[in-house]
Amino acid sequence: MKLDARIPEGPIQDKWTKHKFDINLINPANKRKYKIIVVGTGLAGASASATLSELGYQVETITFHDSSRRAHSIAAQGGINSAKNYPNDGDSVWRLFYDTVKGGDFRSREANVYRLAQVSVNIIDQATAQGVPFAREYGGNLANRSFGGAQVSRTFYARGQTGQQLLLGAYQALAKEVESGGVKLRTRKEMMDIIVVDGKARGVVTRDLVTGELETHLADSVVLATGGYGNVFYLSTNAQACNVTATYRAYKKGAFFANPCYTQIHPTCIPVSGEYQSKLTLMSESLRNDGRIWVPKAKGDKRKPSEIPENERDYYLERKYPSFGNLSPRDISSRSAKEACDDGRGVGATGYGVYLDFKDAIARLGKDTIAERYGNLFEMYERITGDNPYETPMMIYPASHYTMGGLWVDYNLMSTLEGLHVIGEANFSDHGANRLGASALMQGLADGYFVLPYTIGNYLAKAELKKIDADTPECKATVKEVEDKINKLINVNGTKTPSYFHRKLGKLMWDKVGMARNEAGLKYALEEIPKIREEFWKDVKIVGTGAEYNISLEKASRVADFLEFAEIMAYDALDRDESAGAHFREEHQTPDGEAKRNDDDYRYVAAWEYKGVGQRPELHKEQLEFENVKLAVRSYK
Amino acid sequence: MNLKLHIWRQKNNKTNGAFEQYAVSDISEDMSFLEMLDVLNEDLIVEGKDPVAFDHDCREGICGSCSMTINGNPHGPEKATTACQLHMRKFKDGQEIYIEPFRNNSFPVIRDLVVDRSALDRIIQSGGYISIKTGSAPDANDIPVPKSKADVAMDAAACIGCGACVAACPNGAAMLFTSAKLKHLNVLPQGQAEKKKRTIAMVEQMDKEGFGSCTNHYECEAACPKSISVEFISEMNFEYAKARATAYRD
Amino acid sequence: MLGFLKSSILSKFVVAITGLIMVGFIIGHTLGNLLIYAGPEAINAYAVGLKDIGGVVWAMRIVLIISLILHVIATINLVRHNKAVAGKYKVNNYKASTFSGRFMAYAGLTILFFVLYHLAHFTFGVVDANAYGMEATLENGRQVHDVYSMVVLGFRNVLVSLFYIVAVVFLGFHLKHGVHSMFQSLGIHGKKFTPMIQKVAAVFAVVIVISLISIPISIMLGIVGGQV
Repeated sequence: MKLDARIPEGPIQDKWTKHKFDINLINPANKRKYKIIVVGTGLAGASASATLSELGYQVETITFHDSSRRAHSIAAQGGINSAKNYPNDGDSVWRLFYDTVKGGDFRSREANVYRLAQVSVNIIDQATAQGVPFAREYGGNLANRSFGGAQVSRTFYARGQTGQQLLLGAYQALAKEVESGGVKLRTRKEMMDIIVVDGKARGVVTRDLVTGELETHLADSVVLATGGYGNVFYLSTNAQACNVTATYRAYKKGAFFANPCYTQIHPTCIPVSGEYQSKLTLMSESLRNDGRIWVPKAKGDKRKPSEIPENERDYYLERKYPSFGNLSPRDISSRSAKEACDDGRGVGATGYGVYLDFKDAIARLGKDTIAERYGNLFEMYERITGDNPYETPMMIYPASHYTMGGLWVDYNLMSTLEGLHVIGEANFSDHGANRLGASALMQGLADGYFVLPYTIGNYLAKAELKKIDADTPECKATVKEVEDKINKLINVNGTKTPSYFHRKLGKLMWDKVGMARNEAGLKYALEEIPKIREEFWKDVKIVGTGAEYNISLEKASRVADFLEFAEIMAYDALDRDESAGAHFREEHQTPDGEAKRNDDDYRYVAAWEYKGVGQRPELHKEQLEFENVKLAVRSYK
Repeated sequence: MNLKLHIWRQKNNKTNGAFEQYAVSDISEDMSFLEMLDVLNEDLIVEGKDPVAFDHDCREGICGSCSMTINGNPHGPEKATTACQLHMRKFKDGQEIYIEPFRNNSFPVIRDLVVDRSALDRIIQSGGYISIKTGSAPDANDIPVPKSKADVAMDAAACIGCGACVAACPNGAAMLFTSAKLKHLNVLPQGQAEKKKRTIAMVEQMDKEGFGSCTNHYECEAACPKSISVEFISEMNFEYAKARATAYRD
Repeated sequence: MLGFLKSSILSKFVVAITGLIMVGFIIGHTLGNLLIYAGPEAINAYAVGLKDIGGVVWAMRIVLIISLILHVIATINLVRHNKAVAGKYKVNNYKASTFSGRFMAYAGLTILFFVLYHLAHFTFGVVDANAYGMEATLENGRQVHDVYSMVVLGFRNVLVSLFYIVAVVFLGFHLKHGVHSMFQSLGIHGKKFTPMIQKVAAVFAVVIVISLISIPISIMLGIVGGQV
């Protein structure tokens, strides 16, 4: 199968406008005849559901949370980028586009990124009109701050809770449509599989998390907005329930999985404190605006930070990357921290931490200004660690945070499984090999508010869809498959908890398919993953039945999918014999340890096709053309 | 440290629940309260016993999922802290801890510590939004908002919808929750057009859900992980009475 | 007329406004009662003076009675509902609420019974008809109802005094929470105002309690009314 990204013709700045004119429309009166299922109620899912309903479609929105306000978009702290250029510092759609392509290390699709930069402007307007309380200047206009990977101030923020406020904006828009009857909201239902009829996605099977009942939901198109797979590492900044199941099951049904090896490690998280640790807490990257990162110059220096004099400190980011300094992109910051710790200069109990120091900023700006900017982050840090960052430097360490990879989609955000659209973090499209800070919120909302609601009409207008119901053989077969899998899990009746296997897989993935990778390690991972999977299916223990609220079953079902998915990640990382953005192959680095791309051989999107559990998936390549941004070595020096 | 836990166990909303006692040992001070429960659950699963069900997700104090009452305090004894951000260093070795669900007549228990808080969502659905269709918004800087108003809106909007205010209220009221959303939207220029309608609709939905009424104990504010102020309740009272009194004009 | 009972907030408004009216009455009533320290002439003249402007007094009484009835109906309605829906815990642990706040309903009920008794005693003379029937002569020669002696004789009964003292102390708790609460309920609040009004309410409650219970105590100790 040849991948067709369906990128519109014409100059990049006209593609989206032209495309919106060219695509098929459905007249307003007919829209209500179409039904769309949206899975997930994060930024992308909630905004898409609300907008589709406003347009007149019948929408059924499914979430496994108890409320549509809980999705992990809510945890994004720092901000959202937009090419508004309110500060008049030379920003433009073109510059945001350029920064994003460059930040993604030339592994994203130009046309998608340009469109993202274009609609970024509308997002801020939309959110403001919804009442999102963005930070303001005294004059009453919106305030901006700068963020990693950019030399302009284009980040809008709402204290340290930007994700929460944007999600609540989308949640409220969704609530409005639930009230109007346009959206049927289903909570505490987990999507277990996609129903495919005649090669088209026509619905999903869900498990009611309260009663255990398996239900069939049918529609004319399905939209997945189910987030990323960062929890494959067990410890990550993701929420506990984040998982790969929805996208992975879609992959098994024919959607290609693109660039799974592009996983972003966030540089500013609170270091691990013990075995029991269930998650890593992220401290917003915006802290790097005013904090200075350093480690002692001497190895194994166990003195208190206050006792280490200025000339014995290594402000390594400022030293290595003088123009971007502490605001260097995430991958570079993360790897530099790892290098310093691997070199024995890490701090904290485990030696896996670096300092993020606000002493100079407090001296320069005053404690009040710092408190206003970061007060809640400082409080959160103190609650978790017991240390007060106003007095002693924070300790941070990188953690898995965001996954750029995801289901492959074309320009219309449709996957290779016809009728299945994928938006937000769940797709692969806009961030290339590395996402810039404050761009995740932008992409989730761009897809949900401004892109998918148009492009889905193009599919629906042309699609020939036959009438189906829950008794259609394909539907019954899918329910049966899900039922069998659940029974199989319960019947293992082994001795180890689902979390045991998750931890074991996570450790392997972090060590071998984590921040830095090499051929031997990846091959080792490919040998080990099937062993863990085999052990899982022999020895996992689930308590209770499928017909009740069952937390061990939920967990086991998600871990089972991670155990299969982890393999494609390793295959992808092994295939990509270059370093690009967040994918760092130790074999390919410049003399000073930077990622070294190989544009001639790897300037493609790797889209993997399912070939059976334990089988090597088939690689399909979408060649990337860079007509507007010149391929260059990414340098933040 | 070692602890003696009394945990509310309830199979579903049709059966009655009861406390069961569990002993946990070797708990680290750096664990969060939920990580302590994870450790207990791991042991229970291995023993073939039902693990304790509790709502949780982000574990960084923002999603509002966690909903347990610890020794009589929703989210536990710490000020402005969710259960997931509560750390074991706040407890003493050998302490007895009672863990109950967030209780209210409108929060039926689903299982163990998991309750149904959809009543709060229905309050938002009744009017907790600004009706603006995607694509029809003016330029964001067309409507200047004084910084002081933007700040108050943010203070109110910080609500995470966990329902601790309801669980803590000796009257079972949801007025802090409702008033925070009203304040967030009513203070902003964008929210003016629907202010009256919103105020009446949300308050009436709150009553319809069967929540109690405020008699100014302020337990809600003390339990709120985001320290949302009871001032908003006072304002809601006034705004609601005003809206009702002037409704005839519309 | 009782439509407000369906709305939590309007019920609160009714409780607050009727409470405010009754606070006004309590202030006036307390000041009037304190005239007992000025001797029989002062309080008896005051009492007959009120009777002389009967129309106004009756109007006030009607307002008061309606306030009391609405106050009682609204609170009983709220309290019953609140008790039914509020979460009940094995362990109770309060962070912010006060004893007086949680005691409102009990204090209120006690005060209600006391008020009925108090009216029967001093207004309708049901409790002690002889004492109620006494007359005194004012300096201007007018024969009037001897309020002074009635009160003194009434409070010489230890049980009567004790009930009075308990009820007034409960009233103090009720006022401490109620007086600040009515402002919050009516939408009058502020970062400085609210803590201030909480203090004012506490001081007000203490002043009222001391003023009122000083009367039976003084009578029982013989400081007041020794000549009766």
